Parts: sequence; structure tokens; C-alpha cells
Amino acid sequence: MEKKLFIDDLEEITEHDEEALNMLKRRAMVAMGVILLFLMIIISRFWYLQINLGEHYRGMAENNRVRIRTVPPPRGHIFDKYGREIVTNRPSFNVALIREDSFDIQDVLKRLSVVLDEDIEVLWERIRKGSGAPRHFPITLKEDVDWQTLAYLENNKYKFSGIRIEVQPVRVYHYGDLGANIIGYISSINPQELEADKDGVYEGGDLIGKRGLERIREKDLRGEKGSSSTEVNASGFEQQQLKQVDPLPGRDLTLTIDVELQRAAEQYLAISDKAGAVVAMEVDSGRVLAAVSAPTIHLEDFIGGISRKNWNALLENPRNPLLNKAVQGVYPPGSTYKIVTALAGLSEGVITEHTTFYCPGHYYFGRRLYRCWKHSGHGTVDIRRAITESCDVFFYQVGQRLGVDRLAAYAKKLGLGARSGIELEHEKAGIVPTKDWKRKRFKEKWHEGETLSVAIGQGFNNMTPLQICLMTAAIANGGKIYQPQIVEMVKTTDGDIVEQFRPKLLSELSSQEKRYLPILKDGLFGVVHGKRGTARNVRIKGLTVAGKTGTAQVVRLAQYKGLKEQDIPYKYRDHAWFTCYAPADNPKIAVTVLVEHGLHGGSGAGPIARVILKKYFEKYLLEQARKEAEEGKDDKA
Amino acid sequence: MIRFDRRMLAHFDWWLLIMFLLICAMSLFNLYSASYPPKPWGTPPYLKQLYFYLIGFSAILVILAVDYQELHFWNYFFYIFVVGLLAAILIIGKTAGGAQRWISLGFFNLQPSELAKLMLVITLASYYSRKEVTDGYTIRQLVVPIGLTLVPFVLILLQPDLGTALMLGFIFVSMTVFVKLRFSVYAILGSTGVAMVLLAWEKLLKPYQKQRIQTFLNPEGDPMGSGYQIMQSKIAVGSGGRFGKGYLEGTQGHLHFLPERHTDFAFAVWSEEWGFFGSLFFISIYFLMLIWGLYSSAFARDRFGMLLSFGIVMLIFWQAVINLLMILGFLPVVGIPLPLVSYGGSSLLTTLLAFGILLNVRMRRFQVGQNGD
Repeated sequence: MEKKLFIDDLEEITEHDEEALNMLKRRAMVAMGVILLFLMIIISRFWYLQINLGEHYRGMAENNRVRIRTVPPPRGHIFDKYGREIVTNRPSFNVALIREDSFDIQDVLKRLSVVLDEDIEVLWERIRKGSGAPRHFPITLKEDVDWQTLAYLENNKYKFSGIRIEVQPVRVYHYGDLGANIIGYISSINPQELEADKDGVYEGGDLIGKRGLERIREKDLRGEKGSSSTEVNASGFEQQQLKQVDPLPGRDLTLTIDVELQRAAEQYLAISDKAGAVVAMEVDSGRVLAAVSAPTIHLEDFIGGISRKNWNALLENPRNPLLNKAVQGVYPPGSTYKIVTALAGLSEGVITEHTTFYCPGHYYFGRRLYRCWKHSGHGTVDIRRAITESCDVFFYQVGQRLGVDRLAAYAKKLGLGARSGIELEHEKAGIVPTKDWKRKRFKEKWHEGETLSVAIGQGFNNMTPLQICLMTAAIANGGKIYQPQIVEMVKTTDGDIVEQFRPKLLSELSSQEKRYLPILKDGLFGVVHGKRGTARNVRIKGLTVAGKTGTAQVVRLAQYKGLKEQDIPYKYRDHAWFTCYAPADNPKIAVTVLVEHGLHGGSGAGPIARVILKKYFEKYLLEQARKEAEEGKDDKA
Repeated sequence: MIRFDRRMLAHFDWWLLIMFLLICAMSLFNLYSASYPPKPWGTPPYLKQLYFYLIGFSAILVILAVDYQELHFWNYFFYIFVVGLLAAILIIGKTAGGAQRWISLGFFNLQPSELAKLMLVITLASYYSRKEVTDGYTIRQLVVPIGLTLVPFVLILLQPDLGTALMLGFIFVSMTVFVKLRFSVYAILGSTGVAMVLLAWEKLLKPYQKQRIQTFLNPEGDPMGSGYQIMQSKIAVGSGGRFGKGYLEGTQGHLHFLPERHTDFAFAVWSEEWGFFGSLFFISIYFLMLIWGLYSSAFARDRFGMLLSFGIVMLIFWQAVINLLMILGFLPVVGIPLPLVSYGGSSLLTTLLAFGILLNVRMRRFQVGQNGD
């Protein structure tokens, strides 16, 4: 019998039964151990995933399901002194595509290109540009679509899968380019600005203030973004709105600017086709009522980004519209500087109010001849007449007696040669020359003759129109230099005032110096109202004005000598200054006008100051009348 | 054939049944959430699953009435029936021009590979109980069981359904090791196994299968591809935290981030909604039920009963372990359901039938001397 492969005899089985079953029993126990072991492994894995990493995975699950979209806040409005809207917002309806939600982009774009009247390639280009973003991000295809198109898209939604209408606030400029250089513009944030944004406030595509107050007051104007959280499923389809955080609108800015004054000056410069700057300021507070720079930039060009063509045109314009001439333009002050020389001379005691000099029309210093602008001479003049008639010879001698450094000290006291700190960009400090300054700047010794040029506002002197206005206001208000300010108030949309204008005194003349101011004022009054004043054309009936004209030499070229003024090429013509305050006996407003290449202060710059003064006093008189009427009522009561 | 003994009722394992019913109830409850919100058409999965439960329970009653010894006889037909179905699928699949794993019976699609798992357990139990050795099986003695395993194994592999085929391998190995082998056989089987794995990697695995294994090894490398499923499953489980998001509140499942949420990944839905403690509760009862089943195995009245119940426990155990380890990100996506929990008629019916047999063995532990009948 061959060896059996298996025990299949029943007898044998019974024999082995007990032992074999016990063996299996033991093995079943081992298997229980194996099951327990796996149970432990699995439970500890659950522990690890759910308890140790629970927070982590909860975050990932939220990321999975929640799509957060930011809602842009409406930007703060900008008002003038009297609450007139200068800049506000209006909704712009943009057509955007969410690629993830579109069944057939090709088809949708084809239809859209007809509806939007846009080349299909342009639309594709937009999509290509935006293709780096996640597929659920809307890509804007066209901005600011009109109502008709909008209505069509809304009614035919089903034909445009993935198309969404997005509402974005855009700037509205109620007065066109009024105050363009002060207000500035907004535009899409650039990579450098994103880089600099450490707080993570911005994201690509956001609008940010690029210039002027839009930039300086960005933090006030921008507001806070809201967000809208939507639940999406794995295919990206939106399920339900989870949370909506409304955006916080930006704060509103009220400026100290008076739209009427600003506009009057801007229009005058534009119509007469002149480049220049105008600053008008309240003398006893530093409120800037107008700050004009001409020619101006066109704000509408900047909405949605300026075209390269327009930008190049701005850069190449010889009149430099990008320069805010009121604070960034520096010019020799010309005869307006005689105010400084006069004050310095009196205060330092080198002259008295009775000192007279004889003006034959020229003055010899050493062997050099210094001419008076009036070649026939002014005859014997005292300080008052010298100011009124702007006698150069008188001030040559005052300057010569003072020396340049003493002169500079008074210029500084009157706010020249330093930034005023006005809230406008890139304000220039200008130059008030001293001996030290020249040594440092040119490594040269100061020549006494140069002092004579400086004393009449030529030479190295360089001032901004704002500084000259500040000086004028200081004379008018009795010696106080107020910080020029342009923001009257910052308000939240709820009406809470966050910031309120407060006059800020920067410096003040000493009481000794103040004593001489009436003498200067007499001279300045004469400029407008005197028989031989240089700005008689500024006179306004019923209003006293005190001022000073100035002519800033651009070049002194022999070839143009004797030429008629109108024949000198534009860019070599002198700059015209006029600075004034009014009313002369109780000053309220200081106005400074600079007209580039405007030739003579009185004729070139005076009329613009006159326009502003007239506007201001129309209103001032009305205000006075109302006050008197009210006081009258009170008296009766 | 049907013999009623009052001792059977006395030895009926009520505890095992209670645990079993508890698992069934929780699974159905979970399935409602895993297929939530209901689709507006067709029978919702939880309802279909409920029907299969009812069919399965009826089948269990029938099974309990019959002594499990009868399986020695019936299994021949069962074996031929299942292998025939598997072969038929391959032929139908070929003519239909694509892989197919099921046969449509009108009201549901029968997956013969699921039945094959139970069939193999019965076959091996029957074989090893009748062909007994005392000091371990030799290779020669294993030729027949290996052959019996290889036939369905290869047929399923050809479908191709690697996961289920491997399940058959696990069942074979567990039961064969259980009955004790010669030491040399371990060495031979072990080295053959390694060789087969290497060969399979080179020749047999389809690219998508290799991809699954590769992404498993580096899931974060491909978050939107195959690794996506594992990532989403881990997120679902992990985000459940201590106490879960609450019933019907799971976001991973309901927003379709979780793949196969009512089949292979159904337990991830439970974990997301009930958290660690809910998972601990469920898994503990599930494994306690398996250990309880092994206990029945240890005290079965004969070798066949022991092998049957051991095999059935292993059948459920290996599927559960592989499915859970997959959900937990320990294993690649292999398409093994969690018995009772995952939606699927064939798998559920197979498990219920297997459970009926387990209860059957348990309640007949004191009936002896039936062998010769």
C-alpha cells in the first residue's frame, strides 16, 4: 500500500481529533491577537489624523469648500470747502468670465465679441493675460459696459455660460480736471507697490492712488475690503452663500479748496494759454483756497490706465503738465523778494523808514554797473516809494549794507528756502543763497556783487509760488507763518469726523520785526493804489489790495537786448510774478500768481490775481451782509 | 436534512447577532448621509441597500435551518457556478468590447467576484477539513488547494480586478497558514510570492494600477490625479476632529470632494461626521465582532466548523483592514469595500451569507456525530 497523502481513515481522524483541534484553537487565539494589533494600528491612525492633525485637516476642508471673493470698498469722496462734490464714484459694469463655469469658452466669446462690439482677439488676449489665476477667478473682458448691452446680457444669460457682470466703483470727476495736480488719480497697483504692501491690504488688480491726494490720503480714501464667502462643490459650482462681510467705504475728504476760486484761475490760465501757478490762502489760518498749476493733466485719461501715447505726450510737453508748479516749480522771486530785503533792512537798522537813496536809473558797485528796471531813474526814494515803484537801486544799496547772510536769515524767517510741509507731493524747498551755501554748492567764494542781485530777487534765489504766498500772508497777518494746509476735514461715511482742520503756527516774527510791517504794508498798498504803483490794473472797486509785482529773469542775453518783448522767443521771456493780499487794512486772503514767461508782473500775472480776488470778495461781501443781518436780529431780540 | 434541536436556540450567539445588527444599522444610517442629498431620480442607495439587507436576512434564516455540514456537498455546485459566472463575464466582456465585472440581473448587477471570496472560504475549509495532516502540509499536499484558488484568482485578475484577486490570495494564505504547513513550505511559498509580485509589477499590472501604487507612495506629488482621492479621504477623516461635524454636516462628502463616497470611502463619511470618538466606537464594535467570531471558531464542534468560521472572519477582517488603511492613507486605492458599510449588493449579500454561516457554526457547536450522514 502506497503511503497515503492524507489521513482519511475515520478511525485515525478521531485519534488525532483532539490534538488537531487544540492546535487550531491556539492558532485562532493568535489570530485574535493579530486582529487586536490591527485594531490598535487603525485606532492610533485615527487618533493621529483626527486629534493630532484635526485642525490642519479642518483648515484644508474649509479651503476645499469655501471660495472667498473680495468686495472692493467704494473709495472716499472728495469735497471742496463748501461741500461741493469734486470727486465721487459711480458704478462701472464690467463683463467678466469665470472659466470654470463656462461650458464652451470659444462659443461664448464669439457671441460676446458681437454683443460688446469688440474684436474676438482682444477678448482672447484678456483671457490669456488672466490665465495665470485660478480657474474660478473672474477675468474682466470689458469695462464699463452700457445699459443696453447689460440688459441684453442679463436677458440672454443662458447663452453666455460663465459670464458675470461685476460692479466696480470708478471715479467721477464733477469738475473735469479741476485741481488735477492736487487731487491726482488712481490706477491699478503695480508690482513694486504690491511688494511694498507689508500689511497685505492689496492684491493684484486693485486700484491705488498714484498721485496727489489720492496717493497721500490713500489710507483714508481706500476703505476696507469686504468679502463674500461661497460654498463650492468639488466641481467648483457654487452651492450657497456662507458669509458676506460688507466693505467699509473709504473716508471722505473735504478740502480747503474753494472750487470757484480754483476754477476761475484755471480757466483764466487755460483760456489765455499760459503756463504757471496760482496759490490763494487764508492769511490767518493757512487754508489753501486754490492751488493751480497750468497746464493741467487730464484725469479722464488715467481711468483704467493711461495709454502710452498720452503718457508720452505728457512727458514731452515743454510746459510740463506733470509738474505741480505751485509747490514743485521753483523760480527766482524777482521783485517780490524786495519785501524780504525791506524787512531785513529795517529790522537790522541799516535803513530807517526815512532813509532815502537817489536813483539815477543805475548803480555802480565797484566798477560794475547795476541797472534799475526804470532806466530813467526814480529820483530820491524812501522805503515806501521804493516798494511801490519797485526801485532796484534803493534795494541794491540796502542789500549791500546787509550782506547776503543777514538777508538770507530774513528770507528764512518769512518761510522761504524751506519746505512748508503742505500735503502735496515732492514739494521743493527752493534756494535762499548764503555764503556758506555757495561755498558748498560751487566751492566758490561769495562775490559782494551777487548780494545786489539777490537783494532784488534775482541771482541764485529760487522759490516756489507757495512760499511767496506764505510770505505774503505773513506780512498780511502781522508776522505769523502758518502751515499751509489743504485738507479741511476727514469724515467717515457715517459722518464721524476723524480729522479736523486746525491752524498750525510754524513760526512768528519777533515783536521788534513786527513793528516794521506797517511800513512795508504802506509800500505794498501803493503798488496797487499808488499813482506810480506797478499793479494799478489789479484795482477792484470797493476793495483795497496790497501787493507786489515781480519779474524773474530767465536769461540775460545780449542778443535780445533792445528787442521788443513780444519778439523774444517764448522760452527766454521773463517769468511774471504778482503776490498780494486783501483787504489791505484787514487782510483775509493772500494770492500769489506766477506766469511762466509772462513778462511783467503787473500785466502778466496781475489780472489772474484780480479774478480770484473778485470771486473771493463777492462771496465775502455776501457773507458780511448775512452776518450783519443776523446781528441786527439779535440786537432787536 | 433539516433537524431542529432546542439546544441550537440555547447556543445561538445573541451577542454576536446584536453587534452585527448594530453595525448594520449604523452602516445604513451612514449610507443615507454618504449619498446625501438624494438624487431626484432612481432608488436612493440607502434604500437599495436596505432591500439587500432584507434579502440577506431572509437568506440567513434559510442558512441557519440547514446544518453547515451540508456545505461539503453544496459547495461543489457553488464552486462550479461561481467559476462559470467568472468565465462568462470574461467572454461577455470580450464580445461587449470592454472590461466588465458584473452580470446584469435586471434589478441589480451581480458581481461574481464577491461571491468568489465566500466560495473560496468554503472550498478551502471543506478541503482542509477532509484532508487532514498532523505535522503540517507539504507542497505536494497543497497542490489541489492552490489549484482551486488559482482558477478564480486568474479569472478575476483577467477582469481585471487586482484588489479582489489579492483578497483571494489573502484568504488562501490565512487559511493555509492556519491549518499549519511544513517549515520548508513557508520558505517555498514565500519566495514564490515575492517572485510573483516582482513579475506582476513588470508584466501584469496595468498602467493605471502602477499609477495608483506610485501615487500612494508620494500622494502630494499629484494632488489632482490619483493622489487626490487619498488626500481628500485624509482631509475628510482628519477634519472630523474629536467629535465630528455632525450627521449630514460633512462637507467633504456632500460637496463631492470625497470620491466613491458611498462605496469604498463610505467610512470616511462616518469619520468626518462623527469624529474620532464616533470612529472609535464603530471600529471597536466591528473588530470586537470579528474577535467574537474567532472565539466561535475556536470552540466549533469540528474542524470544518473551525475552518469555516475562521475563514469567514478572515474574509471580513482583511477587507476591513485594507479598506480602513486605504481611507487612512496607509494603502493605495485598491477598490476593496468595507463589508456591511460600503454600498454594493453583491458585497453585502456575500457578507450576510458568510455571517449566516458563522452563526450556523456557532449554534451547532454541541451537535456531534453528524459527519457520516
